[in-house]
Amino acid sequence: MRIQKHPILDRIQKGRQVTFSLDGKPMQGYEGEPIAAALLAAGVRVHRYTTKARQPRGIFCAIGRCTDCVMVVDGKPNVRTCVTPLKEGMRVQTQVGISAKKESDDHETI
Amino acid sequence: MKRYELIVIGAGPAGLSAAVEAANAGMSVAVFDENARPGGQLFKQIHKFFGSKEHQAKIRGFRIGQQLLKQAEESGVEVHLNSVVMGIFDLGEITVQHGDGVCHYKGDSILIATGACENMVPFDGWTLPGVMGAGAAQTMMNLHGVQPGSRVLMVGSGNVGLVVSFQLLQAGVEVAAVIDAAPQIGGYGVHAAKLARIGVPFYLSHTIVKAEGTDHVTGAVIAQVDESFRPIAGTEKHLDVDTVCIAVGLSPMSQLARMAGCEMTEKGGAVPVVDEYGQTSIPGLFVAGDVGGIEEASSAMIGGRIAGAAAARRSGYLPEEEFREKASALKASLGQLHEGMFSPKNKGRRDLTVTDEGYLLSKTLLHHGYLSEEEVAGFPGAAPGKSAGIHPVIECTQNIPCNPCQDACRFGCIRVGDHMTALPAVAENARCVGCGMCVASCPGQAIFLVNDEEEAGTATVTLPYEFLPVPEKGAKGVALGRDGRVVCPAEVVEAKTAGFMDGTVLLTMRVPLEMSMKARFFKTGEGTK
Repeated sequence: MRIQKHPILDRIQKGRQVTFSLDGKPMQGYEGEPIAAALLAAGVRVHRYTTKARQPRGIFCAIGRCTDCVMVVDGKPNVRTCVTPLKEGMRVQTQVGISAKKESDDHETI
Repeated sequence: MKRYELIVIGAGPAGLSAAVEAANAGMSVAVFDENARPGGQLFKQIHKFFGSKEHQAKIRGFRIGQQLLKQAEESGVEVHLNSVVMGIFDLGEITVQHGDGVCHYKGDSILIATGACENMVPFDGWTLPGVMGAGAAQTMMNLHGVQPGSRVLMVGSGNVGLVVSFQLLQAGVEVAAVIDAAPQIGGYGVHAAKLARIGVPFYLSHTIVKAEGTDHVTGAVIAQVDESFRPIAGTEKHLDVDTVCIAVGLSPMSQLARMAGCEMTEKGGAVPVVDEYGQTSIPGLFVAGDVGGIEEASSAMIGGRIAGAAAARRSGYLPEEEFREKASALKASLGQLHEGMFSPKNKGRRDLTVTDEGYLLSKTLLHHGYLSEEEVAGFPGAAPGKSAGIHPVIECTQNIPCNPCQDACRFGCIRVGDHMTALPAVAENARCVGCGMCVASCPGQAIFLVNDEEEAGTATVTLPYEFLPVPEKGAKGVALGRDGRVVCPAEVVEAKTAGFMDGTVLLTMRVPLEMSMKARFFKTGEGTK
């Protein structure tokens, strides 16, 4: 959930609203915020599944160190979504191993 | 290959302070930072800093960050963002990744100020989405305006765990509990007390056993631990949470120093050996801030300035005498922050039982996060019967380096003295006018104004309030005690705001007279707990 009004920060400054896609589904976010922030605001917590055990991973360090939050962005795998700014029309895909999740896996997303 | 007189790696509080100091001495300075924005962790710090005026006490961290960026700009420091320093080589050469390319730069001196990263503790389910660093939660809410979850378990009661828990509440997120494997709260008592009076429970000698859920966190199990920190079977307790935040310390990110070949030592992680001005075993290679040993932002900024000045001396921009004068003043200032119960030399000590002045430390504060009423009365800031009518009650009972309350009172009612870590005392003949400046200026939110002579049978209590919505005058509700339990009905008689209080509202509530030393928070409505 987004914080509408904050007692100390008042309204947190955001770029313009943009549309991007997650596994083919249209989503809204703000330009320039990390992809991970836009996903978290939309309630998406699983960013990828690990290669061997297929375990879910999401935001962990949020400063680009741990690589837990990597996803396939515009066709490129292993993009750290917590430090990659969101742009209009970005194609974001849940990563399974080092590939994008297949369309048939869609039931796994929220 | 471009050459600078000083290259700084990391644009956080230490790096920027060093850069400004060196640039003001006349050096050409470039700062490289891997992030898209400068400031390091300062912009996530929305609480008021401790210390004294010269340490920018009672100013919120992000505002200190804004000032530092302005100084950097004015002093002509070049700040390169999205620039990952990949390596340090002989003769002051570094390689920097910008986008998909790599560039070389040369620095006559190099200063590493890469900060720290969060420690982790593994447990069943610790890799599930929803388990994250406390710093990660702070980044999401305070920088990006997104709640990290709806209900959080905080693991770790050091200052990071306590401060982030309070910030979660400010962001509208519930905090189910703060737990710590240690038998007592690790951070400042005043930070714990802010949480306790809102009703956040503390579980000491507890650890997290499991994060539940298949695709993300849907709950957590905690358990009591024995003296060897092993969970005790049968003491498990389930908490309904969707997020688990880990605040179990930080480790210096000293990889570049090691790569450069610096002599290393152990200080809460591997750190380079340095001289008194931050120079490593390699001449011209300096470190400042958390990378040289974990402290906090105020110390990092002073350490940065010392190292920046040392680099300027090395390049001949600061004459020896001028440098020594500057360095000794800065070190004195740093020394003040290094005093008290939580100083680097007392880190992790659990055997302290009395303050420097000889007051018995509160056990309920260390074990439950709040002072008992009997304990409060024994401290010099809250001794009963000192003042008639309106007067401050200062519930600050540990020797921490902080004194804005002393400067806040124009009438000299509050005295900390020359030693910043001394407990504040309310003067016998205090001439309190009830302005509330002390309440607003206390970074620990530990000062209350109590007026026992308000009207017959009632009293007012003024408290610092940093939540939304701010209750309006006339709002009815309940007063909560220091332990977060409802103590009596209460009515808001005033909610004072002012620019210089920077978001802290002075909320005055009317309570029955006998409750004036019990009521410490206001909750709208008939909330019970």
